[in-house]
Amino acid sequence: MALRIVVCAKEVLDPDAVNNYALEGKLVIGEDGKSLTQASIPRLMNAYDEQAIEAALRIREAGTACTITVVSVGAGTEILKHAASLGIDEPVAIQADTAALDHLGMAKLLAAFVQSRGGADLVLCGRQASDDDQGVVPAILGEYLGLPVVTIARAVDVTATGEGFAVRVVRVTPDGDETVAVAAPTVVTISNELGQARYPTMAGRMAARKKKITSVTATELGVAAETLVPRVRLVKQFVPTVKGACEVIEGASPAEAAANLIARLRSEGVLR
Amino acid sequence: MSRVVVCTWGTSGGAEELLTLGRGVAAGLGAPFGWVVLGPAPHDLIEIANRQDVPVVDRIEDPKLQSFGGDVAVAALAAYAREHTFTLLLVPQTFDARVLAPRLAARIDAGVVMNGLGLAVEGGEIAVTASAYGGDTRVVYALGGGGPFVVGVNASALDVEAAEKPATAVLRHVAVDLGGVDERVLVVNRSETTGPRIEEADIIVAGGRGLGEKDNYRLIHELAAALGGMAAASRPIVDEGWAEPARQVGLTGRITRPSLYIAAGISGASQHMVGCAAAKTLVAINRDPDAAIFRYARFGIVGNCLEILPELVRAVKG
Ligand SMILES: Cc1cc2nc3c(=O)[nH]c(=O)nc-3n(C[C@H](O)[C@H](O)[C@H](O)COP(=O)(O)OP(=O)(O)OC[C@H]3O[C@@H](n4cnc5c(N)ncnc54)[C@H](O)[C@@H]3O)c2cc1C
Ligand SMILES: Nc1ncnc2c1ncn2[C@@H]1O[C@H](COP(=O)(O)O)[C@@H](O)[C@H]1O
Repeated sequence: MALRIVVCAKEVLDPDAVNNYALEGKLVIGEDGKSLTQASIPRLMNAYDEQAIEAALRIREAGTACTITVVSVGAGTEILKHAASLGIDEPVAIQADTAALDHLGMAKLLAAFVQSRGGADLVLCGRQASDDDQGVVPAILGEYLGLPVVTIARAVDVTATGEGFAVRVVRVTPDGDETVAVAAPTVVTISNELGQARYPTMAGRMAARKKKITSVTATELGVAAETLVPRVRLVKQFVPTVKGACEVIEGASPAEAAANLIARLRSEGVLR
Repeated sequence: MSRVVVCTWGTSGGAEELLTLGRGVAAGLGAPFGWVVLGPAPHDLIEIANRQDVPVVDRIEDPKLQSFGGDVAVAALAAYAREHTFTLLLVPQTFDARVLAPRLAARIDAGVVMNGLGLAVEGGEIAVTASAYGGDTRVVYALGGGGPFVVGVNASALDVEAAEKPATAVLRHVAVDLGGVDERVLVVNRSETTGPRIEEADIIVAGGRGLGEKDNYRLIHELAAALGGMAAASRPIVDEGWAEPARQVGLTGRITRPSLYIAAGISGASQHMVGCAAAKTLVAINRDPDAAIFRYARFGIVGNCLEILPELVRAVKG
């Protein structure tokens, strides 16, 4: 019996590009007052989700037979082709107007998809999407599927037991690493500590070109429109202004500047 | 009853900041205000409640309650929510709360928002300002169509303010039936980090890629030691192995709140600033006068941190 892995992947704006615009003070919000519309910002798969695919591939390479399905609500063909080029079995696009959904709705569609396939043994997600930083979809999805939720993993190991699969996860916590054990099925979220995700090989790219992307709609998944009405609505986005009241400490030499700074911190009562 | 309730776990920080915020939101909505404490409570629970004008404090205690993030905590709060309904539940955004809040929301069919920095009531509707894109932007979420809602708030962004007139809080022990609930995820092994943590440090000296190479991180340690503070780092140099992961400040690292934060060779990316913007005094040392870090800093030195750090050690000692 093969381990059924479903990886949830979101399309986001390249956070490094957003960051560079922000650092230069050139980040612009669109006319709707809530979206980043700069066309020069590339769209990518959320980096943590790429690492979730990596985690799935590592489980396969460690010797557990698996089927790996990558599913996205709203991602474009590029992103799903990229997933396919990494050697996963089936890319799936759930068609939806993502701007009209809240995180509950997103998770509802993902849960309905997993159920439509008769369940999954391991649902892998990213720890958070680098656009909204919410980190809530995996936990909600776990609840909808009635599964435990293990967050912020740096390593995931699976062993077949007589009846099913045992999952061992190393979590990165503020108190250091924590190893936990849970029986499949379960949801696990992947953090950057997992390490670099692989790049597609040439052969992988070729194979991906031929791979068909499965496409499903909410209706086909049996999710009624009225259950997707958002309770939380994004109404505005803005670039925060930083006050900028820096007093530059001068000095003829590094030693003098250093002495002036320490003296200033003492006179302000910051240092004794 | 459309209550606004603050939910905290044990003695984890942020309770009083959230109570100050929650009190304001409750007043704005004209709703009763409450506080529910799961698991162990701070020793001065009632004093805090009185100071923050919380009329009723609910305590949920059960030997099965081991952490804020697990199956038992979710079940306990879901049971509480059924008996003692609320419109809005505010939780301080700790590591465990990041799992608890969305799970609870899904279980009780509530809307959920994390990374909250502030809340406002406009025309009877609650609006949450949250950070997005690692702090590059702020988003405003409107909580519409009736509650309940669960909102995670970054307490380090908030201030504590005592109520004008203190309350005489009533303590209620709320029993929940956790008979059929057991943790499905078992902790097998935990590597305890010993020693002080940067989250609790009063003085922090942080280094970034501007240090140039691994060996120079020693300069950060030396200044930290001279000041009686702790050494911290930006993510790239943690990824490079110049500093331990426990020293990483920022969005995917630690959120610190020292009285003094000295950043050397750090550019000031939002993802880093999320973890240190709450410092009372921020000092930046960077050779680029246009570095974003100077926008956040109270004091700055434009120059080579490799030269300046040793001189700072000398100046502190001298
Ligand atoms: C999803 C996501 C999460 C992230 N989470 C975090 C996080 O938690 N924490 C974090 O820190 N980052 C995080 N980042 C990365 C963040 O965006 C920045 O890339 C990072 O903070 C930059 O680190 P830095 O300032 O050390 O390096 P750089 O940006 O390279 O800056 C180096 C600075 O040093 C200066 N410099 C160079 N040489 C000298 C010298 N000799 N003397 C003085 N100054 C010098 C330069 O002028 C420059 O300003 C995250 C990014 C993403 C996309
Ligand atoms: N639209 C989506 N499609 C597929 N997976 C998603 C989507 N949105 C969120 N996820 C998954 O949930 C994780 C956390 O997202 P978020 O809660 O939005 O921060 C992501 O890293 C993905 O694994």
